[in-house]
Amino acid sequence: MITVTINGKQIKLEKPVSILEAAKMTGIKIPTLCHHKSLEAYGGCRLCLVEIEKMPRLQASCTQYVTDGMVVWTETGRVVEARKAMLEFLLINHALDCPYCDKAGECDLQDLVMKYGPAAGRFTEGKRKHPESYDDPIIVRNMERCISCTRCVRMCSKVQGASAISMVNRTSKTFVEPFSGGRYNCEYCGNCINVCPVGAIMSRLHKHTYRPWFIEKTVDTVCSFCGVGCSVTAQIRGNSIVRIIPESEKGLNRGLLCNRGRFGYDYISNSGRLKSPMIRKNGSLQETTWSEAFMYIAQKIKEIKEKNGGAAIAGVASGRCTNEDNYVFQKFMRLVVGSNNIDSIAGFAYAPARKFFEKIFGQGVTANPIQGISRSDGIFVIGGDPTAINPVLGLQIRAASQKDIPVATVGYAPGLKGFAANRLIPKPSTEAALLAALLTEMLKRKPLPAEKTPFEEIIGKIQPVSLNEAESACGIASGEISACVDSLSGMTNPALVIGRDIIQRSEGQANLLLLAALAQALNGRIYLSSELPNEQGLIDMGCLPDMLPGGRPVAVDSFRKRYGEFFNAEVPSAQGLSLMEMVEGAHSGNIKALYVMGENIAFNIPDNKFVKDALSRLELLVVQDIFTTETTRFAHVVLPAASWAEREGSYTNLEGRMQHLKKAIDSVAGLEDWKIIAEVSKVLGVDMNYRDSRDILAEIAKVSPLHKGVTYEDMDSGECMWPYKGEPLRHDLNIVGIDMPDMKALLKKPEKDKVYIGVDKVLFHSASLSRNSFALNSIYSEPHAKIGKNLAAKLSVASGDHISISTGAGAIELAAVIDSDMPDNIVLVPNNFEGRGAFRVMGWKMNAAFKAPALDGMEAVLKKLERVSAEVSE
Amino acid sequence: MTIKDLAKRVFLVEILKGMALTLRMIFTHAVTRQYPEEKRPPFPGFRGLHALVRKENGEAKCVGCGLCAAICPSKCISVYTSEGSDHNKVVDRYEIEVLRCVYCAFCVEACPFGAVVLTDHYEYSDYSRAAFDMDKEKLLANWDKFMAGPKGEEYFKRFWRPLSEDYATPEDQPVFRGGAGAPKALPGKETVEVQGGLSDAA
Repeated sequence: MITVTINGKQIKLEKPVSILEAAKMTGIKIPTLCHHKSLEAYGGCRLCLVEIEKMPRLQASCTQYVTDGMVVWTETGRVVEARKAMLEFLLINHALDCPYCDKAGECDLQDLVMKYGPAAGRFTEGKRKHPESYDDPIIVRNMERCISCTRCVRMCSKVQGASAISMVNRTSKTFVEPFSGGRYNCEYCGNCINVCPVGAIMSRLHKHTYRPWFIEKTVDTVCSFCGVGCSVTAQIRGNSIVRIIPESEKGLNRGLLCNRGRFGYDYISNSGRLKSPMIRKNGSLQETTWSEAFMYIAQKIKEIKEKNGGAAIAGVASGRCTNEDNYVFQKFMRLVVGSNNIDSIAGFAYAPARKFFEKIFGQGVTANPIQGISRSDGIFVIGGDPTAINPVLGLQIRAASQKDIPVATVGYAPGLKGFAANRLIPKPSTEAALLAALLTEMLKRKPLPAEKTPFEEIIGKIQPVSLNEAESACGIASGEISACVDSLSGMTNPALVIGRDIIQRSEGQANLLLLAALAQALNGRIYLSSELPNEQGLIDMGCLPDMLPGGRPVAVDSFRKRYGEFFNAEVPSAQGLSLMEMVEGAHSGNIKALYVMGENIAFNIPDNKFVKDALSRLELLVVQDIFTTETTRFAHVVLPAASWAEREGSYTNLEGRMQHLKKAIDSVAGLEDWKIIAEVSKVLGVDMNYRDSRDILAEIAKVSPLHKGVTYEDMDSGECMWPYKGEPLRHDLNIVGIDMPDMKALLKKPEKDKVYIGVDKVLFHSASLSRNSFALNSIYSEPHAKIGKNLAAKLSVASGDHISISTGAGAIELAAVIDSDMPDNIVLVPNNFEGRGAFRVMGWKMNAAFKAPALDGMEAVLKKLERVSAEVSE
Repeated sequence: MTIKDLAKRVFLVEILKGMALTLRMIFTHAVTRQYPEEKRPPFPGFRGLHALVRKENGEAKCVGCGLCAAICPSKCISVYTSEGSDHNKVVDRYEIEVLRCVYCAFCVEACPFGAVVLTDHYEYSDYSRAAFDMDKEKLLANWDKFMAGPKGEEYFKRFWRPLSEDYATPEDQPVFRGGAGAPKALPGKETVEVQGGLSDAA
């Protein structure tokens, strides 16, 4: 026990901490500039100097640890004098342009100078001159203001792991510069902006428009981009968001954000937002009133239902909409339209993977806290780059790696290069062979117990694959594989981070089975990457063709009846169609009407041409969206929705945490999605009497056995974790319906000379929504095709040259970017930009097990285009 | 009641005293001013209608730091700024709701550049509220009308020294000098140009 006296207050401590932390515990604030709680102590600014009895000199409290019997004084005359002197030194070169500087009002240096007296400068020498740098589209650097605290550099290298910036030069000429020179060319997480104590690094999005006291309202809400669900604070003036910042103490992101969350919010103020409902008349969409639009939709749905039955109508839900929207939508589809045809893009990878793992391990197996990743003793990443899909989750992996926790990645994951001890990059679509070999080797070292659970019985039946077989199939040296097994077998509770790339395959189910077996053998926790903020939520709300709210199967009579009884209505018993089946149905004429809520299906589903063809055959296509999209062009009715910041509701993130999405600003023109659906339903004769989203949540809490008694207040506490207060479905230990993978087929070598096309998940974009963000477009404005260096050499393509990529479905022309880590026979194309998305040229095969598209084996022919290429930056 | 009091009552002494005063006042100057025909000059430093200072080049002196809006107790000032074409700070809107102002002049005191003033004009009644919502143009016109010329210069000399004067030496250098008695720039010492500095106002 250590006893310390700080300013006469005695405290007892279990273990030694720094004086700064000890003082904080007693409520004494010691000023700091270079110290930041998410960074290591640095001891550079000397503002936290304190006087310690029996020590002749003042000590920096951030680096000095307490010892027993220490007596500390934090605000004596000597200390104040020293701080004043330090501030005077800092102001030698710090420009006093506070009236122009956007940091004024929340500047640590300004506050300290105010507190410790105006440091009347005695230096007559001129200040250092350093013009502001506007080379970067969204970050402005003013190095006249830099006080060399190195917070940004430490944040960039230690927390973000990007190491994009550094201190250059020496003494008073020191300043911060990105390695790439003027333009940052980094991950644009903006965490350097967040930690800068002065106005040296700032966002250009609100340049010269921001003052802390101009802010009229702040709203703590949830980020709208990916499945992590970071807590963000929106600062509002008038009816617009001035800035989005992370709250340092709150949420699972603890003060960190990624580029999308920090800069991407500006899409909500894009002038291209839909402003009025539109109905197709004489071939073109024409503005109309809400009531006319509701009448039109209701009448059409009624006609089609009477003529073709409810099964001819289908609905597409959205992972961008809230739980409340999705709940009301599935209720509308099931009870008003009378059809289980409801699905979403989540049904392509996230939902089938989750269903598969839950079948084996029980409901909620993927609901693991993200914070646990950095606390596990090993991480296995497969199927995509988590630092691009879920950047803040990716940071957990990087943090773990910096703590020397072994990380193994399978597949091309550029964001974890340098962080993964074992980096295995197999040839396209050969992961199953690699996984099987990993499992076989694992089982050799950690054999299954004699008394087996049903799943272990299944594992025992999986055909073993030797290292050599795997080497010849996936092209990875057997030594590398066994090194990875060595690393894996040392783990006792690893985290398995699984992305969509290995799920959207014809052998997707085999991949998942092997991963589940690995998880069982390793005692691992499963994390499923989720690209949309509410994929988990829409599944929980029953926006699946075979699931009711709370994860209850439609096929079970008792669940279906119970759900129907709440509303005195009948839930159709026939299982609905998956999204891909709906598109096929529309193409073949079985589906007559499609109701799309907040999804751009004509762009985000592979083979755009086929989808568009299918959409054009519909009798009724209703689209609720905030922008004109490829899908709205085929719509008969387009309804403007409220954006993420304009509605209240809840999101459930990939770890199953429910979070409260709050209304920040008033909607320009759109209505909340649930409101639109409730109005249509009212015209159809079913009155959904909701005053606000609170009413809907109350109904969810009653109807869904999983969400029993959930309220927004629970979510506000930040601890509304799965399974809430509800009842998860007890799981049946007799695992049925799992096909044994045919190892022979999986060990088939890919053909050597063929080039396959895959989807590149770009860090700076989020499906087709982010193309409306000015900031994100200025970072990444043009889609690039990524190819490996051998392929580039074969085509004699240099970075920036244009290539044409043609498949059976069509061709696109893109600038090429060469990445030496890429496998040789694959080209990666992002799917974010209109007319140039990967899905324009990618076909699909139906994965019968998941009823979802499989995207493997799509051959492409690459050709260099002979023309002067535009300058391309990566 | 004494006999003396009774006599006072009978002979209306008090009344006569009052009448005598009235009679005397007939021959003195009247104290009543015939406002509005006759106007009284306001005392120096009177806090009347607001104005924004216009520089010699015709632009407003205000840089849009927003300190006036921060200090304003009745929150009647709103400043909207944006980034100009060469990344400078541009004041798009500067608005004062005059009807909410309490004439404390904190804004004048807070302004580091002496860019906002309260003029000595006090007659600005109107039939509409809109007339009291002052925008940048109106406020600059107020300066031209009521404070331009020596009057404006005098105003700052006598009442509010802009804070930026404390930043004034050496020339073109935004170095805080701590007011009177601070050392001057060394003769012949070259100063360094500061981008977007305070030299205009200093």
